[in-house]
Amino acid sequence: MAAGRAELVLVTSVPLRAAARQVGSAGGAGPAGDGARPGRLARRAAIRRVLAQRCVQAVSVTVLVSTACFAVVQTLPGDVAMRIAAGRYGYDGVTAATADAVRAELGLDAPAWQQLLRWWADLLRLDLGTSLVTGRDVGAELALPVASSLQLAAVALLLAVVVGGAVGTAAARRPGGLLDRLTTVWVAGARALPPFLLGLLLIVVFSVHLGWLPAVGHGSASSVVLPAATLAVGLSGLFARVTRDTVAQIGGSAFVAFAETKGLRRRAVLVRHVLRNAGLTLVAYLGVQAVLLVEGVVVVESLFAWPGLGHALVHAIFWRDVPVLQAAAVALALLVVLVNTVVDLAGLALDPRPRRREVVP
Amino acid sequence: MSVHVEELVVTSAGRPLVDVADVGLPPGRAVTIVGESGSGKSLLAHAVMGTLAPELEARGRLRLDDTGYDVAERGNRRHLWGRRMALLPQEPVLALDPTMRVGEQVAEGAPGFRSDRRGGRRRAAELLAALGLGGWARAHPHTLSGGMAQRVAFAAATIGGAGVLIADEPSKGLDDAARDALAALLRRHLEGGGVLLTITHDLDLARRLGGDVLVMRDAGVVERGPAEEVLDRPAHPYTRRLLAAEPGRWTARPRSGGSPGGAPVLVSADGVGKGFDGRSVFADVSLTIRGGDRLALTGPSGSGKTTLGGVLLRLLAPDSGSVRHAPELARGRLQKLYQDPAVAFPARVPIGTGLRDLLHRHRPEPGRLEDLMTAMRLGEPLLRRRPGQVSGGELQRLAIIRAMLLDPLLLFADEPTSRLDLATQQETIGCLTDQVDRAGCGLVLVTHDRALARAVCDREVSLTPEPAGVPGSR
Repeated sequence: MAAGRAELVLVTSVPLRAAARQVGSAGGAGPAGDGARPGRLARRAAIRRVLAQRCVQAVSVTVLVSTACFAVVQTLPGDVAMRIAAGRYGYDGVTAATADAVRAELGLDAPAWQQLLRWWADLLRLDLGTSLVTGRDVGAELALPVASSLQLAAVALLLAVVVGGAVGTAAARRPGGLLDRLTTVWVAGARALPPFLLGLLLIVVFSVHLGWLPAVGHGSASSVVLPAATLAVGLSGLFARVTRDTVAQIGGSAFVAFAETKGLRRRAVLVRHVLRNAGLTLVAYLGVQAVLLVEGVVVVESLFAWPGLGHALVHAIFWRDVPVLQAAAVALALLVVLVNTVVDLAGLALDPRPRRREVVP
Repeated sequence: MSVHVEELVVTSAGRPLVDVADVGLPPGRAVTIVGESGSGKSLLAHAVMGTLAPELEARGRLRLDDTGYDVAERGNRRHLWGRRMALLPQEPVLALDPTMRVGEQVAEGAPGFRSDRRGGRRRAAELLAALGLGGWARAHPHTLSGGMAQRVAFAAATIGGAGVLIADEPSKGLDDAARDALAALLRRHLEGGGVLLTITHDLDLARRLGGDVLVMRDAGVVERGPAEEVLDRPAHPYTRRLLAAEPGRWTARPRSGGSPGGAPVLVSADGVGKGFDGRSVFADVSLTIRGGDRLALTGPSGSGKTTLGGVLLRLLAPDSGSVRHAPELARGRLQKLYQDPAVAFPARVPIGTGLRDLLHRHRPEPGRLEDLMTAMRLGEPLLRRRPGQVSGGELQRLAIIRAMLLDPLLLFADEPTSRLDLATQQETIGCLTDQVDRAGCGLVLVTHDRALARAVCDREVSLTPEPAGVPGSR
């Protein structure tokens, strides 16, 4: 460089409120707050964004799922009015006359698109209609199934998280060790075993042979154990795998090494830093699990006669009870949306870093 | 309190990485190890601390006052960590847990934190306030500048009252002011009768710490002595070469083009200003960048260089004013080099795969990649490796190749060498300016190093924040 040509331009940046409040560009983390007010404002905006997105998703999922259900019922073989009459009066009481009466009462002879429009209009008024079979309000009809399904799902998730999380964390301590290899076998086994087979196996072992736990029903507290365990086995395998990978990866990060040389005990490092950061990934993974859960709920509830949404869904399909069928399917879909909303909000609460960058169009 | 390291050997699969007969760390006198990356200086620090990677073998003895420790045994010094020996990490931004408030991260190292959390937090707040970070205890690490993060790390490492402090490249990525503040902190530790071992490639830091300097190369110590002697009158040729790599001592290289006044304007900024969360970072900046320009954006960390760069590149929207780009810059003719090349390449994809995709998409003239590889003195086998398997200097040169393949009119380099040692910095900057010259391309260099800015650029735009309250001052 030739010194004579050098030109120096000084630009004084606007005085900052206080020098100690300078916010760095060195970290490359982008916009930053001082951890107090602006950060909280950004956080609130992020929460609003999540809620708005999930609301839109809930509405669109409701419309899509209910329409799809309607279409499926329309294409099923057999006379709908006959099946409903059979549901009401029993197979012996069904005649052409009772079927016609049902058809006229429910407007089943109207064209399909009119029936669909009617359902949409009702949905808009949050009126789920009445069961075609029992004649009761669908909302009331589904209150118990929703509560039971939530109970089952919560117990199953809790079981999967506790077992999978503990096994995964332990396996991460020695990658390639015995426990780690056993976890791999467990993952493959749990995924290869369909829930209905696993459920039957559990019933045979724990109810029939050992007599420890009830096979069916909803009465006592112990009756939730077998269905929840059946669901949890499938979930826990993958959860253990993801936990192991995440914990191992975070265990190798610079902030964990620093926490150790600060003089923290191993337990404190694990709880305060490793699991805290692994939680970010694992909570997000729970959202993925929710879909698996819904898939399992239908099979497992039928198997164990658990009076949940899956059970209600199967019966509604059998009796062509379209309003109950649609409401049950929508409730299951909304359950997935709900779980994902909770997951998003938990992620926001756990991770303070901003995740939006502006780019000039 | 004093430390002696004897007959220390660290090997990887039989290959010696550190082979040092004797290093004494007296209380109150700084000992600094300098050298290029790969000379084994960081491994020495980790061998002393007991934090070597498990795949390395270590032999030797460590004496801490009257107690002897076998270096080969990993866990035997763990009970000393935080209480008697502490490690000041490199890259404090990465060494702080991103999800935890900094006050808590400092407090958890306090003795007795498990039984008396409130007392620990109070001590952490006092310590942070003493380091000029009062009121920042509830901030999260991503809101701190590099210098502030370094001070938080210092507080976290020393709150346990350890007498032996080992600092591993503590000034990496810090600007002059933050580096001086760090040197003051380290000296204060010495004045309290502490033992200090610093590993650095920053010769200015070594000068400021004084005491003894050891020069390491290829696993061994080639020269040792008092700092002023080694750094002013080096005896070993390697030390002389190391000193000559400081940007302030670079011999001026003639430029073929020069800054052409009549070249077309590529970027023009008119009265731009930008702030975050209602706090202004800079205001009313106007400048033009022409083809073939060499412009430096300088200033301490936190002054808004990177933000101004983002506004000039139109990656950030200015709050006021406007930035115009010439139409020629469209279609990838404006390229950016990132501070940390490791995050600018996908970690699990071989480097060559990404470059081939680029050739496929933009179809530069055939043989261009090979020419660039030769010009950068990089071998073809490197392309089969992943980003983690090449050195930082090589990766940054590959990033330069990636940018130059698109035949840019303007190259924007954001602290391209702040994570490299001096010799590698000189080589990388040499390659960069060669290519920029040959292509007649403009260069904007963002750096906190004024000497580097002067050695490379014709023009300098300096962002100066409020002079009051230099980081680290009480």
